[in-house]
Order: sequence, then structure tokens, then C-alpha cells
Amino acid sequence: MSTAVEPALTDLQTVVDDVWTSFLGGDEPLIPGAPGDTEVGWSASVTVTGAWEGMISVELPAAMAEEVCRRMLGVEETQDEDVADAVGELVNMIGGNVKSLMPGPSVLSLPVVAAGRVARSSDTTEVCRLDAWWAGSPLVVCVHLHGGHQH
Amino acid sequence: MKILVADDSRVMRQIVIRTLRQAGYAGHDIVEAENGKQALDLVHSESPDLVLSDWNMPEMNGIDLLAALRSTGSTVPFGFVTSEGSPDMRARASAGGALFLIAKPFTPEAFDEALAPVLKG
Repeated sequence: MSTAVEPALTDLQTVVDDVWTSFLGGDEPLIPGAPGDTEVGWSASVTVTGAWEGMISVELPAAMAEEVCRRMLGVEETQDEDVADAVGELVNMIGGNVKSLMPGPSVLSLPVVAAGRVARSSDTTEVCRLDAWWAGSPLVVCVHLHGGHQH
Repeated sequence: MKILVADDSRVMRQIVIRTLRQAGYAGHDIVEAENGKQALDLVHSESPDLVLSDWNMPEMNGIDLLAALRSTGSTVPFGFVTSEGSPDMRARASAGGALFLIAKPFTPEAFDEALAPVLKG
């Protein structure tokens, strides 16, 4: 039986901050803020199934996804395949760390990456949302619960 | 020394290789694998001195790779580099015979702490 608990926004923010600081350089900090008008260039999600069931997603503009890729790979030129890989790895790290905060045992899926907004089951409810800004552009990290928001 | 890096993400393999250099382990031969199955074949053909493996990979995941290695008599030192660092995952890694589990995101210091006993010991 799964448990319908959700991560605190501060926990999600800490997880995302750690990923950004470690792999994207501390010179350009991630700043939590008001929701921006995010043009979703790339998105990615992972699902967790087991004692806790949910989905973690990341949505970011195309230019930011390309910069993430450049910094993670240490290259100047990016190709779509590498951008998709980098965005998938972002959500994998964020999702894996969120999973570790939730009741277990559970299993983390491989990431699903999309150019544009990733499809989401109608049987999910957003329970935690981090809006943040990086290098002047907005991004969104969300946690959804499967089967609605139960308490 | 030869280090096998197994991760389905090319981006993450490059980050792991870069972090090895930053942690003071430049100069080792690096072999890359995209999944556990490929890593299993490469352990037998390349005889690495250390395997650094992701957990969650297509074809064959990291814990199944470790089990397959041990069941075929391989004693190659093995460590996980994975986004899942919960106590449960660490216990499963240790029970399977892994020497360490480095959680993503990581630092060069975390790499050195885990690798020093294996590569400098």
C-alpha cells in the first residue's frame, strides 16, 4: 500500500540547489522566485513506484537546457541528443533524492524526456512546486502524486 | 590502473570522468559502458581495477551487474555512483558486495574519500 505523503518545498529546494551547485557552477546561483512565463523548451520526468508513488518533473526553456548541457558536458556546442541526456540526468538526480526522502521501499524509473511539455497522466495531482530563476530565466520543478491528493 | 565507468547517460559519464581528474585520479585508463550488460562484458574483456556504476540503467541495472559479476567469480572492486543514496539503497549495495555508494550530486572530495582506499591503498 502506498503512502500519500509529500516532500516539503524546502526539501525540494535543497535537493535542486545541491544539483545546481554541484554540477552547474556556483557562480550563477539558482534563485527561488515567483512563477515566470516559462516557455517550455524541454521537460523531463521520473516516476517512483512502491511504498510511495509519485512523479517528479522539470520544465525549462530551450536556451537554459542548452546551457545546462554545455556546463555538464564541458563543451561549447550542443546537440539535441546531449541536451535531452542532460535534462534527463537533472530530473534523475532530483527524483532520486526526492525518493530518498519519502517512505520506501520504492523503485525509480528511467527518465522520460520531451522537447516541449512532457505528457502527464490525468490521475496525478501537483503537491509541491518549486519556481526558480537561473541566469535570468524561469524553470519549474514539480512533484505529483498518483491517484490524487489523499490525506 | 583501469577504471570502468558504467552509466546510461553520456553526460554523467563525462561528469564522473571529470570528477575523477578533479579528485586527483587523472592518468588512469577509462573504459565506458552504457548499461550493465555492456559493463559485464567489458569487465571480462578489459579486466578493470575498479568499476564505478550507476544503479538505474536499461538492459541490466547496477545491482544485477554486481550480482552477475560475483556469480561468475569476479572480485573486481565495485562502487555505485547513483542518485539514490537512501539507507535502504546503501544497505542493498553493501549486501551485494559494493565497497561504497557515492550519491549524485557529488563532489571531488566525495570521490576521493571513496576511492582512496581502493586506488591508493
